[in-house]
Amino acid sequence: MANSSGGPWARLLLVDAAPACGPNGGVISTRSIAGALPLLLLFVAPLVASLAFMGEDALSGPAWVALLAHPQLAGGLALSFFTATVSSLLALVLALLIAAAHHERGALPRGLSAMLAVPHLAFALGLGFLIMPSGLVARVIAVLFTGWASPPEWRSSHDPYGLALIVALVAKETVFLVFTLAGALARADLRSSFAAQGAAAAALGHGGFSIWLRLFLPQLYLHLRWPVVVVFVYAATVVDMSLVIGPTQPPTFAVVVWSDINSPHVADAARGGAGAVFLALLCGTALAAFWAGLRALAPALKRFATRGPSARAFPRWIGLAKWAALRLLFLVVIVTLVLLSLAALWPFPQLWPDQLDTTAWGAVARQPGPLLTSLGLALGTSVLGLIALVLWLELTPRQADRLVVALSVAMLGLPALLVGLGQYRLFLRLGLTGTGLGLFLAHLMPVTAYMAIMLIGPYRAVDPRWHEVSASLGAGERRFLARVKWPLLRAPLASAAAVGFAVSFAQFISAQLVAAGRFSTLPMEAVTLASGVNRPLTAAFGLLLMAPPLLVFLLAGLAARPRWSGA
Amino acid sequence: MSLVLEQVGITLEGDALIAPFSLSIAPGEIVTLMGPSGSGKSSLLSGLAGLLAPPLAWQGRVLLNGEDLGLVAPARRRLGRLFQDDLLFPHLSVGENLLFGMARGGRALRLARMREALAETGLAGFENRPPHTLSGGQRQRVALMRSLLAQPLAMLLDEPFNKLDAALRSQIRSSTFDLLQARGTPSLLVTHDLADVPPGGRVLKIENGKVKDA
Repeated sequence: MANSSGGPWARLLLVDAAPACGPNGGVISTRSIAGALPLLLLFVAPLVASLAFMGEDALSGPAWVALLAHPQLAGGLALSFFTATVSSLLALVLALLIAAAHHERGALPRGLSAMLAVPHLAFALGLGFLIMPSGLVARVIAVLFTGWASPPEWRSSHDPYGLALIVALVAKETVFLVFTLAGALARADLRSSFAAQGAAAAALGHGGFSIWLRLFLPQLYLHLRWPVVVVFVYAATVVDMSLVIGPTQPPTFAVVVWSDINSPHVADAARGGAGAVFLALLCGTALAAFWAGLRALAPALKRFATRGPSARAFPRWIGLAKWAALRLLFLVVIVTLVLLSLAALWPFPQLWPDQLDTTAWGAVARQPGPLLTSLGLALGTSVLGLIALVLWLELTPRQADRLVVALSVAMLGLPALLVGLGQYRLFLRLGLTGTGLGLFLAHLMPVTAYMAIMLIGPYRAVDPRWHEVSASLGAGERRFLARVKWPLLRAPLASAAAVGFAVSFAQFISAQLVAAGRFSTLPMEAVTLASGVNRPLTAAFGLLLMAPPLLVFLLAGLAARPRWSGA
Repeated sequence: MSLVLEQVGITLEGDALIAPFSLSIAPGEIVTLMGPSGSGKSSLLSGLAGLLAPPLAWQGRVLLNGEDLGLVAPARRRLGRLFQDDLLFPHLSVGENLLFGMARGGRALRLARMREALAETGLAGFENRPPHTLSGGQRQRVALMRSLLAQPLAMLLDEPFNKLDAALRSQIRSSTFDLLQARGTPSLLVTHDLADVPPGGRVLKIENGKVKDA
């Protein structure tokens, strides 16, 4: 790896001294290849190969027969699509209300990036502890209203309908969609265009609510399509959250597939492979049906949009209140984890533990392996992924970006279960399972995919005249990059790095498969612990999962802050 | 100081966008090149600076004080440029923008030169101000001064007065021309506005891809 990245770096640093060659000169093409190489080797090639191995089991007849006879097939699928549909729609509506309310008020939702940084798994752990029969919610009800002396017989976490899973998904996905919407709404072009359109519509008698529904929402649809697809596919195929907080008899279909894949029996593993393909096909079908439904509704939506003005004001308080409630939920979840990790003795229904101690944290400190592995992977992959992407963007013609974007979208839009399985099959053949390199690559691929989606747009959008004016002032390539281009891009660079770090920190499926029992990362430990009885230790691991991404997002926020406000 | 263009032209995938032409600009002379938008005026300036982007391709020789610029890196050509937008770096203060292109040397000396230049521009005391707090005219003046502090051997002006309002425009135009003529800097100005032509200056026109005397 050192060799493949050493060459291009050296070239980048030597650019200043290189003779001015015409853009059609031979030197450029050598540089382009050198610039593309790290990303091709570390991301494109392994991902293409993984995708090729993904559908291997789709060809096995017996695996399909076994799958269709699986006793948990119907129940698991019903749960998966029920939880995914309800949570995605709820998250979408909430996110629209929240983003619109904040846009109307001219402010970004407070705490957004911190909430985005909380890993799904950590949130699910905390939420599970919050709503379990002996959790804080039941204690508050007992103390204030019912006087229960022992925990109620709830099935609040792991409930048979997946309601707890839905709550966890809605909370996390609402934050993600608000982030997407706030990003789109903060773009200068959209902001000024919406302001002008809003003024024009208001002059025609439309109130705030009508302007949002009839004017802004149809335009935001374009920005929301892919994020909603990602949210739905994630919800329908998530494994780690389902294991921690989802239903068990039967579990969601993703968990059924997951147990099959991990089975030592070849036939079961093949059934799991077919199941992963089946789940992906059903996701595609569901999305196609949803899209067809929208098309069928289009005339009615058009009629609604042109029905004429309504003066109703935008119910801003609803969105603001929802956001406040969501922030409170995140806070309570974190507080629950903190208290539980320190609680030695906490009899029901007391609101505060009898004894606090650091036994769990002591245990964490005695086995720092998973934390260090996760930290090393997250730091290494986000830095290397960023370097590979920047080299690509600096030295490769933009026409080639389409390949990277398409692969990244495939990586993020396809179920992680399916991509992870393809990757595992590939790594098995290459002898990379159970190796550090394999584990690193398994983390690097999703990290790079997320960073590519975030970075390519803003990086390519840098006005080429910045380069021209720098050159006219005598600044060579290195000085231009260090003093002008990268400082101008520091917000997208810092966010991409932070998201990359968080994505690596949260990897579960591919990490577990490729690690083959030889390595342990934090998410693996946390999922294992969640099925046990040591709640303080589980809570401590939940917090460990949360703290580094939070810190990195905080640092990225500081690094991305413009030097002057209003610039 | 002189800027000589020998049979320079621009092709787009083999077709001539600007047919080869030659031009010699004397020290302190400001030659105006006029043409409608899309005629390739700005691309011509990018080509002279060595920064023409594909699919456009450059042909011909450019001589600055007799030196062929063909093999000189863009950053070493010492061709100053002004654009329609001031392009002051938004993350650097006004003073830092001026220091950006100034030759290396003693810090005290460079700071003194920067302050002197600000005073000359009527912007004394503005060195720590963020660029976005200046008016359009002030910003364009800083951009000109930033360019001149890099001690260019020739200037390429790409409609730099276009975005200024009428009153400011003639004032900044004449102060820019005065400065360039006083320094003996050969300059090529591209514009589509006749009012931008310096008094008594030579004017060329691009018509159907051919550069002719107006």
